Amino acid sequence: MLRESLTVLRKELISELRSRVAISSVGLFALTTLVAVAYQIGPYRIHEQDRPHLHAALLWIILFFAASSGLPRVFVKEEDAHTAKTLRLAARPGAVFAGKLLFNLLLLLGLEAFLVPLFGVVMSFAVANLGALLLVLLAGGLGLAATSTTVAAIIARASGSSTLFVVLAVPLVLPMLVFLIQGTRMAATASDWAAALPALRAVLSLTGVTLVTSAFLFPVVWHD
Amino acid sequence: MTKTKKLLLAALCVWFCLVIWGAFFYAPRAAGFKGESARIVFFHVPQAWVAVVAFCVNLVASLQYLRRRDLKDDVRAAASARLGLLFSVLATISGSLFAKVMWGSFWNWDPREVSIAILLLIYAAYFALRQAVADPERRGTLAAAYAILAFVTMPFLVFVVPRIYWSLHPDTIINVQGKIQMDSRMFQVLMGSVLGFTGLFWWLYSLETRLARLRLHRDQRGE
Amino acid sequence: MPAPESLFWVAAVTVGIWLGIFFYCLGIERRLRQLEEEEGL
Repeated sequence: MLRESLTVLRKELISELRSRVAISSVGLFALTTLVAVAYQIGPYRIHEQDRPHLHAALLWIILFFAASSGLPRVFVKEEDAHTAKTLRLAARPGAVFAGKLLFNLLLLLGLEAFLVPLFGVVMSFAVANLGALLLVLLAGGLGLAATSTTVAAIIARASGSSTLFVVLAVPLVLPMLVFLIQGTRMAATASDWAAALPALRAVLSLTGVTLVTSAFLFPVVWHD
Repeated sequence: MTKTKKLLLAALCVWFCLVIWGAFFYAPRAAGFKGESARIVFFHVPQAWVAVVAFCVNLVASLQYLRRRDLKDDVRAAASARLGLLFSVLATISGSLFAKVMWGSFWNWDPREVSIAILLLIYAAYFALRQAVADPERRGTLAAAYAILAFVTMPFLVFVVPRIYWSLHPDTIINVQGKIQMDSRMFQVLMGSVLGFTGLFWWLYSLETRLARLRLHRDQRGE
Repeated sequence: MPAPESLFWVAAVTVGIWLGIFFYCLGIERRLRQLEEEEGL
């Protein structure tokens, strides 16, 4: 099963590296939004004590919406290219989901690696506990990837439009974003690891619950 | 209409009138709240309660649809979702009115308020999804999948967030020691109202499902 | 303490709203029965 998933993942990576559609749209979206935000809200225009709140919120807003411009396509492009039927025959649903999930995860982590340092520099985002921030970013990447992959699977069998994706994904992602922003703020302001822990725990349990539910739901949606 | 049904409906009508009288005259003024504003709780809490009940009915119907692929289950899911949306909107409105009187603003970003807002977003998304699918069976499957996914994320909002964050909502009635802190008269009226609203929900739900089943029957006959 | 009459009016309006809803739904109930009979359900 692991090998099948990795095969699916490899196929995704190869096709993506060939066309670079998702990477470029995600990257460009993130960059544009960052520039627009940074120009207006630059590092010195906000009070010292408000900065962690605003920075944490902005960071995750940019991350989520940039991701939304690239992640949903992961199933829709199969339907469009008419390769979906072949995929259904060739691989087990669990492997398909895992492969696509891993692809989305890598895409998100790549986005974070690109955006977060840039954000930090451009907005003068001071971080007290870098390790905690990295944990939050990792947990957030996994959580967002999990929810997005499942919702992407659902919309691919509906109209496949990205608007529908955002409409469906936002209510599910909102609680997670709340915790992620809280965790990022804690990582930025407190050097003590315990501060970010409650938020991290919440994000990880939400992610766990989503993954377990998706494991049960995906085969149903995929083979509809 | 059968005699039992007529009796039940008449009882529901009278019951509600009793509850309304009780809410305004039998229950005493609540201490610590502005004027008579606390009386709205006799309507606000049951509305929120019914919204949750509707959500649960939707969950059960969705799960059953995925198991048996009977379109009648999808009918039940859609009906309960529609009613859930209605009562969520009512709960939001009554909550906002209370907030305006009590704290001066209609919306305060209190975690409980946020969870009802997200519930509204979930319903909106659910119906958007249903609209986007033409085939009735696929519509049922996708809607059910989304409803189940949404259902598992909700407890975090409703239970976890208020524990972590300070909340404007008055302390949950059953507090840490497990004792009921509300005045007994108020409690009676509140429970009476919850019963009444649940009865109303059941009636509306049966009306909705009967209407939908009629349509289904007609469509199937027309083929 | 607000005038007891004003509370009375709010209660009366609420009862009015309830009766409106109740009889409207009763109307739907009757109509549904009719349709169900036609349909032979």
